[in-house]
Formats: sequence, structure tokens, C-alpha cells
Amino acid sequence: MMMKKLGVSPWLWITFFLSFQACSDKQNFDQFDDLQITPLVASSLFSVEVTEPFINTIPAVNAFYSETFNFDAFTERFVAESLLEGTISYEIENTTSKPVTLVIEFLDAGGNALDAERFDIPAAPTALLTRDVAYGAGGKALDILINTTDLRVTGVNLGDNTSTSTETEPKISLKSAAEFLVQVK
Amino acid sequence: MKFYGILIFLFFSSVLMRSQNRQLLFDFDEIPQSLMVNPGADTNHKWHVGVPVISGFMVQGATSGVTVNDIFADDGVDINLKVRERMLDGMNSRDDFSITSQIEAFYVGFQGKNRPENYYSFGMYGETDIIVYWPEDLARLAFDGNGGPNIGRQFDLGDLNLRGEMTNVFHFGIRKKVKDNLTLGFRAKLYSNIFNFKSTNNQGTFLTTEGEDNILSNSITADMGLQTAGLNEIRDILRDDTDTTREDLTSLFTNRLLLGGNLGLGLDLGFTYELNEQTQISGSVLDLGFIYNSKDVLSYTLEGSAVNEGINVLLPEDINSIGEDRWQQLVDEIEAALPFEENEDNYIMLRPVKLYGSITHDWGEGASGTRRENCGCAINVRGGSSEQYYRNRVGGLLYMIKRPLGVQAALTGSYQRRFGRNFSVKTSYTIDKYSFSNVGLGLALNAGPVQFYILGDNLLSYQNIADSNYASLQFGFNILSWNDN
Repeated sequence: MMMKKLGVSPWLWITFFLSFQACSDKQNFDQFDDLQITPLVASSLFSVEVTEPFINTIPAVNAFYSETFNFDAFTERFVAESLLEGTISYEIENTTSKPVTLVIEFLDAGGNALDAERFDIPAAPTALLTRDVAYGAGGKALDILINTTDLRVTGVNLGDNTSTSTETEPKISLKSAAEFLVQVK
Repeated sequence: MKFYGILIFLFFSSVLMRSQNRQLLFDFDEIPQSLMVNPGADTNHKWHVGVPVISGFMVQGATSGVTVNDIFADDGVDINLKVRERMLDGMNSRDDFSITSQIEAFYVGFQGKNRPENYYSFGMYGETDIIVYWPEDLARLAFDGNGGPNIGRQFDLGDLNLRGEMTNVFHFGIRKKVKDNLTLGFRAKLYSNIFNFKSTNNQGTFLTTEGEDNILSNSITADMGLQTAGLNEIRDILRDDTDTTREDLTSLFTNRLLLGGNLGLGLDLGFTYELNEQTQISGSVLDLGFIYNSKDVLSYTLEGSAVNEGINVLLPEDINSIGEDRWQQLVDEIEAALPFEENEDNYIMLRPVKLYGSITHDWGEGASGTRRENCGCAINVRGGSSEQYYRNRVGGLLYMIKRPLGVQAALTGSYQRRFGRNFSVKTSYTIDKYSFSNVGLGLALNAGPVQFYILGDNLLSYQNIADSNYASLQFGFNILSWNDN
């Protein structure tokens, strides 16, 4: 009666109502829990470059360079709490006339060495030495990185301190970078 | 009772009716709220009073990229795969997610007693408008990082674009019939802002490449900012989380609703011009205004450039710095070159300006005795007839809104059918960046002095509403009097 009062066909009402009835495929919002965000973060870590004339000022067999420095990159909350795995890459180039040994020690807050990387490099001419060290699955323990607060880098001249290389601007260079897979979510 | 049953049914049906378009309201002259989208609309009410709080409710959500169904459909596909294919690979920085809502607190209008050619209206409504553009490169950086294949890839920090606000609006408008064929109108607005934020016009890049002194080089150049007003005190209340959190928030919101927030001014302009008895053009520009933010302002900037190759020791140059805190020096250098700073500087936020322009054509004379013939004001009658006399109306409408990345436009074609004086139905088809299949439907129903209206569009998406790129709804109740009542 009301519809007739309004002068509107009942079919029009039915069509109107039906048009507003929405359907939806089944949704599962719990899937959000399965979403993983795991970026691969890349950055250089540290580098050391020492010229041959400087090495020659230090008595042979003594360390021409030894320094312990604070390195909080691994203990930063973002890294420490979410690190899944990673790789630290090293590149060492020696264009001096001396064989050298480089040692990188990973120290915890108490000064204890958690791990060390040792590189023995012959005198020039020698190829670029590269090494990738994996941490996490299949590699060294992640705890080494997570607990590292300081790095100690030591360079020892295994040759003399009088010879000079024929290379242009002879030097020893150590470079390092890391790629870490971190779990943001 | 049947009538009220219908109304209740319609009301709750509307919950499922997720689509609304203000374009449907434009030129829908039977509804007093059409004056809110065109203050120069050719309405024909003697007076109207919106039922407080429920006279006008509108909510609208849109996404030009993925839909809810694209990501959350229970289809057995790994969500990580869906996010990668449909968001990271499928969307770009011009795709957006937006939500707009508007709730009328009250809305009243009346025809001038001594100036029947004038119609005055005033009221208050709250509006929330948030738009977030897909931060394409930042999302790629967050999901994939800068390592592996992304070494050498330049990430655009300018992809960060977002804007949002919650504002209470007090308004007063006059619509005036200046000639038989021309109606003009304006609406002055006073904004009381509850909160707003914006981060637009950002610039910058982040790039990881082969380094000079070390294996890799991370370089960043940024000129970025985020301005906020009103959020800091809300955050403090929520963070304190005391027994009076609810009361404190209520008190804060009430104060800001009633002119205690950051204030602003705005203006709407509109017109309707009748080309002939059956054809008219109309247009409006809304929210030409601004909010001046001076209270509870907290903004952030990131400006500068920095290059990081880690800790670099050169000997003999650095012989005197052995033993210094090289890590802290590195951090300090980067922070000095690329400072992240806060400030409380006042700022102006422009409102999102909207523009409507339409042309309509009426035909099909209805029954005699239309309300306009007897209005007694001689303002709407044209040669013994009126547009209200026509049962059919077709129209074309162009809608534009200023958004952070430029103007968004929509084009609408519509057909309106009047069934007597108490019931009118309008259907529309709209093309915009969100949908090419947006079919809308709306009605205005009068029962005595009570009017109920409901407007929705994108009806085709109802087959799977979760897969809709555009969902919105508008409805309301008015009590009104026509000019022959």
C-alpha cells in the first residue's frame, strides 16, 4: 500500500534493494601475520690504507698499524634484533715491496676476541685478495656479529723497512663491506 | 509501520552499499545537501532542517592500485607473492589510497521572508580526508633493501607523499536567484581543525654504488619534511594511557571542534544558468580556503646530503687520530651533513579545492500542479512551467580535486527520473582513476515533511565488494517544506 501511495512500482523497489546487496569473496586477514619483510642491507664497514713510506718508518716485524676502535654497527638495535644472515666481504691490495699480515679481530664489550680474520699477503706484484665470510645459516655464528662492539685491526710487516716498490704510490689497502639480511617483519 | 520498515531496511542495506559519489548529489536538487556541493544550486525548498547528526553522512574509500581482495583473498596464494606481484611490481608512485568522510552535525536552511529570491543555509559538519600515495621506491627499499641487485639503483625519496586532516566546518551560505535564468550562491566557511599532517614536495635520492675509499658507497641527498598540527597532544594522551584517557581525548576533541583548534577560512562559489527552459549549466568551486596552523605544531625535516663509505683510516694522514672514537665521528659527520630536525614553525595548509561543472537537459512533462508553480515567490516559474515539471533529466558532470600530485578528475553521465513529487531516482556512470565501471544509483524519498536520501555508486563491484577499487556511501534524513507546502 505504501508503495502504491508513493506511486512507485514494487518491482522498482525490489530492483533497487537487490542492487545494493553486496557480495564478497572470502577474505583471510590473518595472512598478514605471514607477511615477511626481509631487506638486504648493504654498506661499507671500514677501510685502512697505509703507504709504503709510512711502513718504512716502523721497525720491521713490528706492527705498522694497530688500532682498536668502537664499532657499534652490529649492535645497533635494528641489526642486532633482526639479523638473519649476512656476508662480510674483504678486499686487500698490496703494492708494496713487503709481505704483510693483516688481522681483524671482533671484540665484545669485555675486550674478548670473539673471532678473527687473518690475511697473509705476499709482496707486490700480487693479485687483489678477496674473501667473503658468511654468517648465519651455513656460515659462522651470528652471535659473533651481534656481540661485537669493537674491532681491532693489526698490520705487521713481514719484510724489511728499507726496500721500496717500483709501483706508483705503493701501499697496502684493506677494504670491507657487509650485506646483511634483516627481518623487519 | 511498513514505511518505517522500508526506511530501516534501506538504512541497513546502505551498510552494504559501499559506494557513493558526490557527483550523484550534484544537480540532485530535491536534496537540500546539493547546496553543499553547489551553493548556487537551483533548489526549491521553503525551509529545511537536517535531522541532527544523521542529516548527512558520507564515507568514501578508494584505491587506484590493489584492492583488499588482491591481497587478502583466501585463495591459497602466499601473501608474500601477492604483495610482491601486485604491490611492489604492480603499483607506482601515482597510485593512492584515500578515505574521505563527512558527518553533518546540523544543517538548516530557509527562504528569505522579505527576499524570497534568497535562500539562506547554515550548519556544521566534520570532515576527514586522508590520502597516501604508494611510496614506490621507499617500499622497494624496505622490502628488498639496497644490497644485491639494487646496488646501483637510485631510490627516489620524493615518492613519499601523504596528506590528511580532520576538520570541523561552520558554514553559512546564500543562494540568490538574480535573474529568471541565473542563480548564484556562495558559502563562507570557518574551519576548526582537529589535526592535520602533510608530507609533500619531497625530493631526494638514495644510492649505493661502488666506492672510492671502500667497496661500497652509500649516498643520500634529501630535502624532505613532515608537517603536523594537533597530533602531538593526542599522542601524549594516548601514550600516558591513564584512567582518564577517554575523557581527556573527548575534552580535547570537543575543544577543537568548537573553534579551539587551528582555525581557517574558506569559500564555496556556485551558479546555475538556464540556457533554455529545459537545459541548464551549473558549476561550483569548493573549499577555496586555508587553515593557519599555530597550535600544537610539530614538524620534521631531513635536509642535506651525505656519503658513507664506513670508517676510513689513511696513514700517515690519520696518525694523530688513532685511538679516537671513529664510529662516533662517522655518526656525527652523517648527522651534521644530513640533520633530522624538529621545529614548531607555524604553517598554512590549503584545503583540497574541488571543482564541479555540469550540463543537464530535462524532458517529459509530468502531472500538473508542481510545487514550483505554487511557490508564491515567482522565482522558479518559467512561463507557467518549471524544470520540476519534467520527469526526466540527463546530465554530464566534470569533477576535479586538487591532490598532492596534481589534479584528479572524474567524468560522470547521469539520468534522473522523477516519480511524482515524492520519489526521485538517479543513476550515473563515472570514469576516474579508480574505476572505469562505476555505475551509481541514488534516491530521494519524501514521506510528508520527512525526506530520506541515499546515494551510492560502483554498484557493479558489489559482486565482490572486497575487490572494489572504490567504495563510498552517502545518506541522510531531512525535514523540509517545499514551496507549495
